[in-house]
Amino acid sequence: MRWLATYIEGEFKMKDILLVEDLKTWFPIKSGIIQRTVGYVKAVDGISFNVRRGETFGLVGESGSGKTTAARSILRLIEPTAGEVYFDGVNVTKASKRELIKLRRRMQIIFQDPYASLDPRQTVNSMLMEAMKVHGVISGRSEARDRALELLTKVGLSEEHLYRFPHEFSGGQRQRIAVARVLAVNPDFLILDEPTSFLDVSVQASVLNLLKDLQKEFNLTYLFITHNLAVVHHMSDRVGVMYLGKLVEVADKDVAYSCCRHPYTFHLMAAIPVPDPEFEKEEVLLTGDVPSPVNIPPGCRFHPRCPYATDRCKQEEPSLTETNGHWVACHYEIDFQSGERKT
Amino acid sequence: MSKKESPILEVKDLRVDFHTYRGEVKALNGVDLKLYKREVLSLVGESGCGKSVTALTIINLLPENASVLGGEILFKGENLLKKSKEEMRVLRAKEFASVFQDPMTFLNPVLTMETQLEEVFMLDTEALKQAVIKQKSLRRDLGYSDFLSLKGEYGSPSTSNVEASKAEIKKMAKDLCIDVLRVVKLPDPERILKQYPFELSGGMRQRCMIAMALARRPSVFIADEITTALDVTIQAQILHLMRELRDTIDASTIMITHDLAVAAEIADRIAVMYGGNVVEVASTREIFRTPLHPYTKMLMRAIPTVTRSVERLEAIPGTVPDLIDPPPGCRFQPRCPSAMKKCSTETPELKEIVENHEVACYLY
Amino acid sequence: MKSISVGVRRGELAAKLADLKYTLYLLRKNPLVVAGSLMALFFIILSLVADQIINPDLAHTFDYTRSYKWNNPLINWGPGVAIYHGPETLPLGTDGYGRDLFKMIMLAIPLDMYIALIITVGSATFGILLGAIAGYVGGKFDEVVLRITDIFFAFPGLVLALVFAAMFGRTITNLMIAVLLVWWPPYVRLMRGQVLSEKEKAYVEALRALGAGPFRILFRHILPNSIYPILVQMTLDYGGVILTFSALMFLGFSPSPALPELGNLASDGYFHIFEAPWLLFFPGLTIVIIALAFNLVGDGLRDVLDPRLRR
Repeated sequence: MRWLATYIEGEFKMKDILLVEDLKTWFPIKSGIIQRTVGYVKAVDGISFNVRRGETFGLVGESGSGKTTAARSILRLIEPTAGEVYFDGVNVTKASKRELIKLRRRMQIIFQDPYASLDPRQTVNSMLMEAMKVHGVISGRSEARDRALELLTKVGLSEEHLYRFPHEFSGGQRQRIAVARVLAVNPDFLILDEPTSFLDVSVQASVLNLLKDLQKEFNLTYLFITHNLAVVHHMSDRVGVMYLGKLVEVADKDVAYSCCRHPYTFHLMAAIPVPDPEFEKEEVLLTGDVPSPVNIPPGCRFHPRCPYATDRCKQEEPSLTETNGHWVACHYEIDFQSGERKT
Repeated sequence: MSKKESPILEVKDLRVDFHTYRGEVKALNGVDLKLYKREVLSLVGESGCGKSVTALTIINLLPENASVLGGEILFKGENLLKKSKEEMRVLRAKEFASVFQDPMTFLNPVLTMETQLEEVFMLDTEALKQAVIKQKSLRRDLGYSDFLSLKGEYGSPSTSNVEASKAEIKKMAKDLCIDVLRVVKLPDPERILKQYPFELSGGMRQRCMIAMALARRPSVFIADEITTALDVTIQAQILHLMRELRDTIDASTIMITHDLAVAAEIADRIAVMYGGNVVEVASTREIFRTPLHPYTKMLMRAIPTVTRSVERLEAIPGTVPDLIDPPPGCRFQPRCPSAMKKCSTETPELKEIVENHEVACYLY
Repeated sequence: MKSISVGVRRGELAAKLADLKYTLYLLRKNPLVVAGSLMALFFIILSLVADQIINPDLAHTFDYTRSYKWNNPLINWGPGVAIYHGPETLPLGTDGYGRDLFKMIMLAIPLDMYIALIITVGSATFGILLGAIAGYVGGKFDEVVLRITDIFFAFPGLVLALVFAAMFGRTITNLMIAVLLVWWPPYVRLMRGQVLSEKEKAYVEALRALGAGPFRILFRHILPNSIYPILVQMTLDYGGVILTFSALMFLGFSPSPALPELGNLASDGYFHIFEAPWLLFFPGLTIVIIALAFNLVGDGLRDVLDPRLRR
């Protein structure tokens, strides 16, 4: 484990608030009367990356890439099969139940579906109170109420919303309530699992702005998971691209969007529709369908769809290697304009 | 596209209400729309703006609690609202084809693709009979494109005496199934026909839905958020397919989406809807270059794009209007930075300001 | 500080009341449900005030000169029916002990309703707890509970009750326990199914991520959200329990032949069906009406359940 501690605010703090090492989450496939395990769905098959304190790390990928499972494995909402996750130096994967609850206060998550992630029978007030009670954040009733109001105003709601049920709110408002609930426990790290994909465009803009403001105000670190590359471009500092359970590229945002090196990243970027009819875009299309993690191709996972694949790609799986903070998992260095590849 | 020609489909001042527990939802507040031949018109708007309701009203598939309060829908000169249910059903089969967002719910899970696709072709046995006769005269296999061109020759007297056997008609349908799947770029059509919908991926299902729509050789093709549920690379494939199809099929397309970027990729003209009205209509280039309506302008600034880096997105203040108790006058007025007194009393009409660029706003 | 805490309570309460109002609105829309609820309400109130209306003293009611006699001129049961020529009007005739049948039914209704309530609530509570924990915990515990439930399911209800009563003696308490033993398995199944499906929902995951413990999640969140089908089942079962319990009595398992209980009264009538048909008819009719009322309410609740979720 790499120890990169820096001296912040009078104490030694880990520079990387989150360190993921070779995380694997496999789901067994059982069949037969005695339910033998005949195979595995390798949703996350060995990812390693780090998230620096205060930054926003965007994790992108299409369906089947494993990004959602990765997020849940990091928080141990799903138990990972192998690998380690370190949060601020503490080993999350091996933490006991009690330690895990303490860690949960500091690592929170906002879910994708605002219509399902709130208990439909709980008022907003009850939700906030419960969050505070679970972690023992406040001491008195009046103090709790003051704090609840304060949280609501922070996320852009008001006192009249305190005693309403979730179904009386719009999608954007429900996400704000989820954010308020999460803030109630004073977290340091927030995983945002597609927080705006169910929201309208204009609402998305205000929720993203809110997230940015809160990040500055409370010194939060974000792991932003989405398939919307435009949103990731807006929000993140660094970007990691997942394909079929593995990371294929990790780079700073501008590098990833303009000079990416992995063919999948390139095709992903090329597929983004641009709201500008004058923008000249090459027609770069990926053939085939998004694969499922049940049948993982041998060698490089991307080779069935990769226009640059060679025999080596079909047999040997490339590892994620770094040059100057830019990580790529590909055997070749490909010039996407000409199609040349070099080893 | 000459704008002097008359539109194939014209919606005038359409008003639709829904009856619910909480009150009357005034979904459409006077929608004006024109669709020309062989163009792709994109209806863009956020949820609740009425774009899906407009499409459903055109093809008369509204739910029980909806009532059309006024307006006209002119298709080839006839008012669709005045037609009976049976007439509309025939029209739906012959002229309008629609594809919706979630193909899994629109495909029968217990029938193979072959059964379902064949069924669509077999709806019109006359056309198949014609195709068989044509094939005999051409002495080669009839493809989908030939089938398409037969559309104009419906009911010509020379074919009404000649008979085609049932077996021939069925075989024609089967062949056309395979060919139409090739048109939508599905690899290995024979194998796909034998599969069930759940065995196919999302992108393939959507292509099958498009194939089913093409099978009826529509004049108007309605695509309601067909790429929303798909991954971005698959979405790119489907959009590419739609662009190619535009040249091959002789239909106008109404592309409904909430994603302006998707509209930019595929549409000839874009109609922006808000709160039950069309607020701006122009060609794609025009509308991006010079958006006139305040909502359009703010919408464009609220979308994050990869070509432009901003610190904050410009969120539109306020919320989508409550359609049960909508604001009087222009429904965008509570959130509009340039709202005037007039805006809260009367709803502005869609007027042509610049050539081929219509806006519904009192600023102009 | 006091005013603030009262404010909080008022807020929460008002929110819950508004929620209730919506349910009642939906219930009002269905005329059958309204009819059923009114009937059910009528019986409930009747049970509560029966003591005041009728003199519950049974000691001096036995009068064998009046047994199996009818004197209500409104209904003519035909020949073979003995007419009572005494001073009192007995609207529903007399039973085998010469007691006024109307009075007996009035006394029987509270008894039956009360017994059914205890059985329903008891079996439901037991089933809910077992099912909820089994569903949430899963694993071996779940398997064991399921197998035990299956065993109890396999018994034909009435037979088990009969055996139990035969073994442990014929008191009302024993009979109640017997019926209870038979009624709890469906609740375990129902609750377990509900918990299993709620467990996978996003808000439960959100609560786990928040750090909430399993007890809090199960009892404060999952249970209130999955209780509706159980409530529906309970109301439907209420009628069923009355039927079963009366059936037990009818078959002869009552502790005392003179007990004012609907099934018991009917049992006497069965043997004298040609001389005193009212003895079978009126108690039976009462059972049917009570069961019907609660069935209608249960059906209406079930209809209300689905649209609610669509909010």
